[in-house]
Amino acid sequence: MLETFLQALLEVLRWDALSFMLIGVVVGFWVGLLPGIGGATTLALMLPFVYRMAPVQAFAFLLGMHSVVSTTGEITSILFGIPGEATTVATILDGHAMAKNGQAGRALGASLTSSLIGAVVGAAALALAIPIVRPLVLTFGSPEFFMLAIVGIAFIASLSGRGPRGLVRGFLTGCLGLLLAAVGQDPQQGIQRYTLQQLYLWNGLDLVPVLVGFFAIPEIIDLAVRGTAIAADAPLGRLSQVRDGVIDAFRHIWLIIRCSLIGTYIGIIPGVGGGVAQWIAYAHAVQSAKTPAERDGFGKGDVRGVLGPGAAVNSKEGGALIPTIAFGVPGSSAMAILLGGFFVVGLVPGPDMLTKHLDVTMSMVWTIVVANIIAVVASFVFLNRLARLTNIRGALLIPFLALLTFLGAYTSNNSLNDILVALVFGSLGYLMVRYRWPRAPLVLGLVLGEVAERYLWISVARYGSAWLARPIVVLLILLVVGVIGSSLRQQRTLPKRQGAAGAT
Amino acid sequence: MFAVRVWAASLIIVALVLVALLVVPGQSQQPLFAGKTVTIIVGYNPGGGYDLVARLIARYLPKYLPGNPAVVVQNMPGANSIIAANHVYTVAKPDGLTIAAFNRNLILGQLVKAPGIRFDMTRFAWVGSPASETTVLTIRSDLPYRAATDLLKADPAVIVGATGPGASTYDFPLLLKALAKFNLRIISGYPSSADIMLAVERKEVDGRAGSYSSTKPFIERGLVRSIVRGRASVPDIAQLPMDEDLVPDARSKAVMRLRSAPEIIGRPFVAPPGTSEEYIRAYWDAFTKVAQDKEFLVEADKAGLEINYVRGDQALKISRDVLGAAPDIVKVFTQFFSFN
Repeated sequence: MLETFLQALLEVLRWDALSFMLIGVVVGFWVGLLPGIGGATTLALMLPFVYRMAPVQAFAFLLGMHSVVSTTGEITSILFGIPGEATTVATILDGHAMAKNGQAGRALGASLTSSLIGAVVGAAALALAIPIVRPLVLTFGSPEFFMLAIVGIAFIASLSGRGPRGLVRGFLTGCLGLLLAAVGQDPQQGIQRYTLQQLYLWNGLDLVPVLVGFFAIPEIIDLAVRGTAIAADAPLGRLSQVRDGVIDAFRHIWLIIRCSLIGTYIGIIPGVGGGVAQWIAYAHAVQSAKTPAERDGFGKGDVRGVLGPGAAVNSKEGGALIPTIAFGVPGSSAMAILLGGFFVVGLVPGPDMLTKHLDVTMSMVWTIVVANIIAVVASFVFLNRLARLTNIRGALLIPFLALLTFLGAYTSNNSLNDILVALVFGSLGYLMVRYRWPRAPLVLGLVLGEVAERYLWISVARYGSAWLARPIVVLLILLVVGVIGSSLRQQRTLPKRQGAAGAT
Repeated sequence: MFAVRVWAASLIIVALVLVALLVVPGQSQQPLFAGKTVTIIVGYNPGGGYDLVARLIARYLPKYLPGNPAVVVQNMPGANSIIAANHVYTVAKPDGLTIAAFNRNLILGQLVKAPGIRFDMTRFAWVGSPASETTVLTIRSDLPYRAATDLLKADPAVIVGATGPGASTYDFPLLLKALAKFNLRIISGYPSSADIMLAVERKEVDGRAGSYSSTKPFIERGLVRSIVRGRASVPDIAQLPMDEDLVPDARSKAVMRLRSAPEIIGRPFVAPPGTSEEYIRAYWDAFTKVAQDKEFLVEADKAGLEINYVRGDQALKISRDVLGAAPDIVKVFTQFFSFN
């Protein structure tokens, strides 16, 4: 197996595979930077090009492209507060706050380093999981999916502000998120809920226009109101900042590794969705705060809020490949399209991928690693120039940012309703920031609501109440209690300060 | 002064262009699509089956349409492609340069009067369907049931995973349960057929109905075996019993036939109502040739498509048959089918 592993590296580094990967990385780099258009869509658009490629070339191209999208998506999130991808929203909370404090370079350095580490951990998990992949995936059934969603929702407690008032606000916005997740046809009978007789709402609220509006529009308004550059009065970014960010990453290496593992595991579970990993990792980073000052610093530019999600988002793809390869069941929407790529190059995902075609599987592991190294090194070259963008006068940036925001929203359905949704959630987001209501719980509720509903239904329909007695379900229930308990304890042991300070 | 000169210059240019147009041999000599761009509107986001077919066809159409136009694919997702169908019916110009690909079950949606539908299927200018879709019910190979009749007395009930109403994963087993008295328990709500296969693998459910092409890898791997198929078929599974053969009465047969009718026109392509026949015939011709193109067939096979071009006039006839079904049959059908 080790021999195959090393041989696969040589195959990936052969000129033909490597040049296809470079093309993929260049495409993925831009797709990541631009808000809205996502990795899954780009994979679908590029799929026709692989019909005449060999498997290793095809996956070097497709996976190379896909695995850098989140890495560069964070750059947009940090610099402008506009989510570069639906998977890089959590980075905004602290990443963009750092940019506003004049620390864009540091945030970028930290984000890229954690992305790279996350990608390597995810790829390593993929390689290590090969012998045990079947039990790893098969022990999780619908009841466990439901409980995982509940674990995620329980993190709302630590994403809320401090004090009873902060908790209540967090809880309420979380509930609003769950309600918004109910918009559209219900997953079992197709009954329409809150669709306002609009065909547009049949399939529910699309995440991209919601997130782009919810996070980008408040930032644009804020920039306009302040009338300064993004990094208001902070001195021009120094060259050493990026290095500081890299050092930050290694200082918090264990946090990064823990968040990478969270991302990997969420990736393995099909159907939980890419949007979730970043938020759980973010909440986990918040939980690592030890003093009240530290806890309040989150949302105002704590580097750990950048490191956690960055690692999880990139490790997730390695995890998502596991069920895709071993069972032919995609772990994310991008993987569903990659699955099409398997058939095109004449491979059938399934147990054969772990034996007969092990070399191809290993080449995927290497592709994720090599593509991320290329993207991160390339980004570092531009980082200082990119960071300078935060010193440009706001008035010059705003038209450009507004255009990117609305284009990004519009690309999800090519419908004017996308823009309307972005505007509605933009206004809501602005009000929430203005009155210090936390936005993160709403997003968490929105991304997990559908998963929770769907799998609760299936669990009850299939097992009656017996699902509650499944061993992993019991473990997860304990975990939920632990998550809520630890954030309440954190709330209590930290001395109170005024009201809902630290609302993210 | 300057403005006047500009005006004069423009006038001269316009005049020259007009003269040039008169001198150039008549437009009618030009091939139909020369220098034009054909847009294929797909009712789904990139990545799904309908999008895949449209993008594959888009690469081969330019070769066979007279004048070799550029062909681009535009995605207009939403409401299971009702949005796209409404757009092509009410907004798109019938100039022969727009065609659309949407959900095969829209025709059944119209039959049961689903909300939001503003089109009449029989008034579209039908291009046809390049591929059919075969539905097959499969169950786990380790179950003791081998033949369709075994499922009549299965005990405990065989659990079938499904996405939801309006999809073959749900409707097909539902009719088998209700009309053919199969002992099935249907658990709906899975996000996609791939997720159901994983549930089969971990024995949460016992089987799944769905398109043969997507189930084939799992059959070949020995995870599941096929039991019953719908009316549309491919040689691989032609020997399987058909759902209609398992019900005794004519009315049940008719209800099942209604459900499977759209599968024969599995990937419908239409043009806006009123598109001139000249263009439609060109499309018929081009689609026929694409469906015989060697390279195309190799790629379609890799993508798991069952290429079987049903020409527009035949597709229209099938649509008319569906919408002309006897009221009592429609009434029974409506009890089981809701379009989502």
